[in-house]
Amino acid sequence: MNGLAAALLVWTLISPSGGGHGGRGDMWPTHVACRNEGLEVFYQSCDPLQDFGFSVDQCSRKLQPHLSIRFGIILREDIRELFLDVLLLSKGASVLNFSYPICEDDLPKFSFCGRRKGEQVYYAGPVDNSSFDVPEGEYQVLLKLYNENHSTVACANVTVIAS
Amino acid sequence: MASLIICCFLVVLFSACHEVSSTSDQLCIEKEANKTYNCENLGLSEIPETLPNTTEFLEFSFNFLPTIQNTTFSRLIDLTFLDLTRCQINWIHDDTFQSHHQLSTLILTGNPLIFMAETAFNGPKSLKHLFLIQTGISSLEFIPPHNLENLESLHLGSNHISSIKLPNDFPAGNLKVLDFQNNAIHYFSREDVNSLKQATNLSLNFNGNDIKGIEPGAFSSQFFQSLNFGGTRDLSVIFSGLRNSTIQSLWLGTFEDIDNQYLSSATFQGLCDTSVESINLQKHHFSDFSSTTFRCFAQLQNLDLTATHLQELPSGIEGMNSLKKLVLNVNKFDQLCQINAANFPSLTHLYVKGNMKKLHLGTGCLEKLENLQKLDLSHSGIEASDCCNLQLKNLPRLQSLNLSYNELIGFQREAFQACPQLEILDLSFTHLHVSAPQSPFQNLHHLKILNLSHSFLDTSNQLLLAGLPDLRHLNLQGNRFQDGSIPKNNLLQTVGSLEILVLSSSDLLSIDQQAFHSLDKMSHVDLSHNNLTSNSIDALSHLKGIYLNLAANAIGIISPHLLSILSQQSTINLSHNPLDCTCSNIHFLTWYKENLQKLEDLEETVCANPPSLQGVQLSDVRLSCGITPVGILFLTVFFLLVSILLIFAIKFFLRWKYQHI
Repeated sequence: MNGLAAALLVWTLISPSGGGHGGRGDMWPTHVACRNEGLEVFYQSCDPLQDFGFSVDQCSRKLQPHLSIRFGIILREDIRELFLDVLLLSKGASVLNFSYPICEDDLPKFSFCGRRKGEQVYYAGPVDNSSFDVPEGEYQVLLKLYNENHSTVACANVTVIAS
Repeated sequence: MASLIICCFLVVLFSACHEVSSTSDQLCIEKEANKTYNCENLGLSEIPETLPNTTEFLEFSFNFLPTIQNTTFSRLIDLTFLDLTRCQINWIHDDTFQSHHQLSTLILTGNPLIFMAETAFNGPKSLKHLFLIQTGISSLEFIPPHNLENLESLHLGSNHISSIKLPNDFPAGNLKVLDFQNNAIHYFSREDVNSLKQATNLSLNFNGNDIKGIEPGAFSSQFFQSLNFGGTRDLSVIFSGLRNSTIQSLWLGTFEDIDNQYLSSATFQGLCDTSVESINLQKHHFSDFSSTTFRCFAQLQNLDLTATHLQELPSGIEGMNSLKKLVLNVNKFDQLCQINAANFPSLTHLYVKGNMKKLHLGTGCLEKLENLQKLDLSHSGIEASDCCNLQLKNLPRLQSLNLSYNELIGFQREAFQACPQLEILDLSFTHLHVSAPQSPFQNLHHLKILNLSHSFLDTSNQLLLAGLPDLRHLNLQGNRFQDGSIPKNNLLQTVGSLEILVLSSSDLLSIDQQAFHSLDKMSHVDLSHNNLTSNSIDALSHLKGIYLNLAANAIGIISPHLLSILSQQSTINLSHNPLDCTCSNIHFLTWYKENLQKLEDLEETVCANPPSLQGVQLSDVRLSCGITPVGILFLTVFFLLVSILLIFAIKFFLRWKYQHI
């Protein structure tokens, strides 16, 4: 009898978070962006509202210029202007921190610039990166996409393991 | 058994608690009382009862409304703006908006619409903006045309539309914006374009539709406010298709993710017979750039060649005599002279922003541009040791110059003699070198706005700002002062006409009482993000009715004599200061509550001391300091009793002591 009561109690305590809509408050699952001998890239959405999909076509420690990526997301904001913030950490220390404009009023770089809140966007194409050798080690990368009002469009915690 | 009852009680208690918290979760955010509400991302399946009937602006995106009908919003009859983005709407039934006479904007983006009833949009007296982006529409017949006579903008992006032909009964008379971004339109026939004829001054957006053909004459003798064919691979199709039309603004740029197509003189052939005022060709490649490439651009006033991989423009370009505005941002020039400015004698606006190589200004490269009014050379890695009289030679009409975000620029005296009409000068985030005691801005009689933020200035040069009789707005953010203090004699004394002064993030510790005494026209002073204490407020004693920003400083206690200085100002921001909420600051705390209407950012104006009040908003603090009359009464009675007791005690003691004698 007591066991049943305890189970009931535990169920009530746990159920609101498990049965709530959208799984808010939970962590989004960790996905693999690419995996190859020598380089593994994992990411997890840090936007509490939603997950997103991302993959890199070639994956090697010698990153080629103009990498092809695939990206799928539902926009929660207009992206007339869109900016990317990158924070690279190695062993907990900040190594690199930069901000890069993707869509601007006077220079919409990509064809998806200007799309509206609520649109589902799928992008498969190049990014204008330069070639880069990833030194051996484990890195944490925090990526944040936001618009002209500083509203989050996407947020990702990325782990890069180069071996 | 008892434990079971307790457990059941607990279960009921906890579930009740969760219910309470989940309903409070679902509260919409009030942005403007009784008028504007945001209910986004709440998973609602109906309009909450908490929303007042007077709601006018409702953001209801990312909720769950599979069917909407005339009962769904019936209570909110004052709605003028309704955003139903991604609410999983399948059905819009008859007369859904029947009682919403004021509705002017309806957003249905990202809903998987199966059917909209004939009378779906009946009701609003003047529905002006309708968003049907990514709703799965493949034919314009899907949109019920009733009651759309007043429509000014119709957004149909990201659907499966392949023809722009409006149905015969579609009322387009007031249409100004028709947006077909990212559809599957590849061809325009005459009939298609003719169906738009009722609309005048139309802006059409075909960005992300790869146009492959236009029936000859389809656009002829029509006028368009703007046409956007962004991302179209073969531009010659567009130019020949637009023959004999008149277009205010034509956007033909391409993108990073679209294959290169090289533009040549032949591409632009059709433009000779078209009247266009402004063209954007961003991110294209030119195959054979020659003096005849722009042969057909004779009537053009604005040309945007952003990121077109240019290293130079040829000299002797024909037919660019009437060009007024030229944008050459994000190209690869080495020398400013490589733009061959003499090609564009009528130019009033020139932008060479974000050059991808270090740009050398050279000598007199722009001297033929006598009409130039605005020049933007920001973010271009410019380094110049002695600027700018030779570099900007002969620009008598220049009013606005932007040299911000460059490398290192050195100035001697009267550095801008070449452009005496300057009104706006932006040098922010560029390392400036001025050897003291020079006055580089001397004789800029018309300069009104000067931005010197984060420019590593030598602020001890008291003549730095000499010779600026009309300067109204000065930004000195992020520049350091010696010892973190602004002394009595400082560089601001020469700019008596100043109205707006920004000295934020300058590591200031103090400001002399007389530091601003020559500045009596100021209306806006920003001293935020420094380490100032309240003593610096003395420097503002001669100013009245100003906006004063003291946010994020080191102000703890503000003594009574400073309160009169604050009282005479119109708006004050004291947020993010370590404000003292003890009785030693009682005068200020009383003053604060009496002047709430003058204060800005109240929510962030909180106590730092004592620890018990840390983080409490100043307006909520209730202190009672000093002794009240009741207290005095009690104290008097207490002392009286104590003294009576003492007298009795002494009496008893003496009596006891002398009894034994």
